[in-house]
Amino acid sequence: MDELLQEFISETQETLEALAGEVVAWEADPSDRDRLDAIFRFFHTVKGSCGFLNLPRFERLSHAAEDVLSEIRAGNRRPDPATVSAVLGIMDRIGELTEAVAIGAALPSENDDFLISALSAQGSEAEPAAVQAAPVGVGRPAAAQSVPRTIRLPLSLIDQLMNGVSDMVLARNELSRKLRERSADPELDNVFERLSTCVADMRDVISKTRMQRVDRLFAAIPRMVRDLGRELGKRIDLSLEGGDVEMDREMVEMVVDPLTHIVRNSIDHGIETPEKRRAAGKPETGRLRLEARQSGNQIVIAIADDGAGIDTARLVDKAIADGRLTPDAAARMSEQDRLDLIFHAGLSTAAKVTAISGRGVGMDVVRANVERIGGVIALDNQPGQGLCITLRVPLTLTIIPGLIVRAGGQHFAIPRAAVVEILHDNNETLHVSEVGGAKIATIRAVRHSMVDLEDVLGMAKPVQQGPRAIMVVRSATGVPFAMGVSAVDNHEELVIRPASPLVMATGVYAGMTLPDNGKPMLLLDAAGLANAARLPNIIDDRAARQQEEQADAQTGVEMVAALRFEELSGERRLLKLSLIERVEDIDANLFGRSGGRAFVRLDGRLVPVANGLSQFDRDKVSALRLRDDRREACYPVAAVLDIVQMPAVPDMVAMHGMLSGVAVIEGEHLEVINPFALFAALPEEAMVERVRGRCLLADSNDGWTREILAPLLRQAGHEVLLGLPGDALVDPDDVVLCTEADAAQAAEIMGCRVVHLRASPRPTGPQDGSIYRYDQDALMAAIAGRRG
Amino acid sequence: MDQLYLLATLAGTRIAVETGEVEAVVRLTDVSPVPGMGAHIAGLSALRSRVLTIIDVAALIRGQATPVEQRSLAIIANISGHSYGLMVDGVSDICRVPEGALPLRGQLDAAWAPYARALVEHEGHPWLLVSLAAFIEGGALAQAA
Repeated sequence: MDELLQEFISETQETLEALAGEVVAWEADPSDRDRLDAIFRFFHTVKGSCGFLNLPRFERLSHAAEDVLSEIRAGNRRPDPATVSAVLGIMDRIGELTEAVAIGAALPSENDDFLISALSAQGSEAEPAAVQAAPVGVGRPAAAQSVPRTIRLPLSLIDQLMNGVSDMVLARNELSRKLRERSADPELDNVFERLSTCVADMRDVISKTRMQRVDRLFAAIPRMVRDLGRELGKRIDLSLEGGDVEMDREMVEMVVDPLTHIVRNSIDHGIETPEKRRAAGKPETGRLRLEARQSGNQIVIAIADDGAGIDTARLVDKAIADGRLTPDAAARMSEQDRLDLIFHAGLSTAAKVTAISGRGVGMDVVRANVERIGGVIALDNQPGQGLCITLRVPLTLTIIPGLIVRAGGQHFAIPRAAVVEILHDNNETLHVSEVGGAKIATIRAVRHSMVDLEDVLGMAKPVQQGPRAIMVVRSATGVPFAMGVSAVDNHEELVIRPASPLVMATGVYAGMTLPDNGKPMLLLDAAGLANAARLPNIIDDRAARQQEEQADAQTGVEMVAALRFEELSGERRLLKLSLIERVEDIDANLFGRSGGRAFVRLDGRLVPVANGLSQFDRDKVSALRLRDDRREACYPVAAVLDIVQMPAVPDMVAMHGMLSGVAVIEGEHLEVINPFALFAALPEEAMVERVRGRCLLADSNDGWTREILAPLLRQAGHEVLLGLPGDALVDPDDVVLCTEADAAQAAEIMGCRVVHLRASPRPTGPQDGSIYRYDQDALMAAIAGRRG
Repeated sequence: MDQLYLLATLAGTRIAVETGEVEAVVRLTDVSPVPGMGAHIAGLSALRSRVLTIIDVAALIRGQATPVEQRSLAIIANISGHSYGLMVDGVSDICRVPEGALPLRGQLDAAWAPYARALVEHEGHPWLLVSLAAFIEGGALAQAA
């Protein structure tokens, strides 16, 4: 029985969630039979199950709603707004009751009679006419689609599965380390490779089980828009797009609140009343558009309205009135900076506090929530025309790009998005001074509060050779501050897991991660650190810094052209353009692996593959052809994006493996490939060119030799020389090909091996060591063999 | 009342833990410290792909951290969704105690009072029955906050 009840509860809750939007859409278009049927089916199901489960209140409510809906279905009654409101009311009550049953609480004791009588009352009497004129149109692009078969699973099972796979990945990593220590056995390597692929695939699939359609995020929106619109007497045309995009289930939970808040704001402050809109020459019905799409490993959610936009002048006035900003600094601010003021705590453009928004929970909280999950929020403000807010959040909650820093002999991780800049403390643009115990770092004329991470965490500061690293850290809501650490060691994608409440209670950690070396590492929380160090929180004079930065840019950060590309593993990186000879598509089957090195066969030569990849999931691979002064290499990539200007020295120097650091291009952090490390890692090329030697064609004047033999040899990857060179230039590895016997003798005198060709298919006699000139296999074997 | 108990010594005291609370007992290897925390948080340690928060229970009771070289065993427990390792001096036995938990007698040291629930009698000695969750929720969290 318990199980049945559980099933009933979760099913009812899920359907309710999905249905709220449907009811609103049905109100906008009463002729939509499919939606009406869906709603009717819901009540019918609830009624059926509660009779069985002995839940009389559910039964009565759903029975009443079902009656009304069946009348509408029969065409005896029109679905006016009052009826829809009453149906929604019943759905809400069923939701409340379900919730109560689920947690085993006493059922709420309100009387259901009022709701039921509201159903039977005819619309025009119950609802004032003014509000009645505000239906919400919901546009959904696609019609009903076939629903894939699903089953319900407890989340804990999925988490268990996920942990199991993580264990497997760790075990695989350890195995791979052990294998590398032992001698290379290609057979074993192959098997291991296969296992690796399986494990990686499995991890991908498991992480997909955590995915959920964005529809779920949107489900509550139509209802909210309808209710708010009615309350405020505004007309809103809502459109939802991209509901089929998938994102992490936890992420959905985290985005719900910020999204709800933005939509509320938009209706309350953005979209004007019909009268005002008419006066402004806009259509009376305001438009609100929500759109979700996937872009790389991010989900982009855009919320656009055609309302009044943000009045930045009023924001500035408010900030000045609050004493957060000097009029001086305000005058220097750019429009974007003024707009950013909306993210400061307690600032709002709302002239008065309304019931819907403007209650002090403002955009600062929204931004903090979005940034906590590694997201970014951006505003596109068109005063008088509307506002578009874009949320960019990572696909999953658990993987974020992070920097590994060292302090007090220990490693910590910090989200890369929180770090604005990294300098060494011997950098001349940096000046650190101390007064009354407080440290102040002046970087290019901008003063930052400075703390040492060791001091904040109460660790001993070990004596260290060489400079310390100073990072400028920007927390979600606070002002940037400078933080000293021993060194910045590395940057990588970190799998973040929640730390235990004990650890979180300190407030300076945001989670933890388990890197490959098996030593747990803590993720620092930038805002928490600032709090722990009790740093003052003053609005920063950003304009001054920007002026400074502009001057800086003019006087000379050296810029070089770089190619922006996407790695096959998905990261976006930069490589100096001058190293790239060209970009071409190469057949994937030309790539291979031998002796642990990846190579690609190009124009008959073996070219080393710089990033060691040899297996691809596509037929054609885009590849960068690189060349230093004497060697060449091939660098397969997923896609070539564009050419940008990057600083010659990366914004953040962090040498690690093939990377030299991170450069910020158009607000995007991109890793920069270190060309030195790239070429240094290539295998010595000797094996490629030397072993092949040259083919000397003695009969350089013969047409057959020139037109048929030479091209064949070149295609096979040999270097071909027409005619015999002077004695000094002949290498013992060279092979002479000739058809005339005397030329063969001459060549033998020079000390080279000779392949003697003949024109007739049959040998002239048993001593004839020559090869028929169209017998390609024998010819190639002879060239290769004689070189032995 | 035929309950299975894990018998251990902790801060020089004989304790018993209901086996239902215990996931495993492991020998501690690498513990990475968590700076900025009280002495009772010894640090983080990895158990396969899980990360354990290691609690120095003796520090919680005596207020003094156990020196690194004396760290040996930890009881692994899952408490409200997180994995913890609770350091103990030693583990002696897992056994069935037919008579089960007995009421506390005598005057208990104030340091032990928040964690002790009852006594368990085994081989003629009383063992203090403690709850692992109480160490985390009662003791450690309260001190951390």
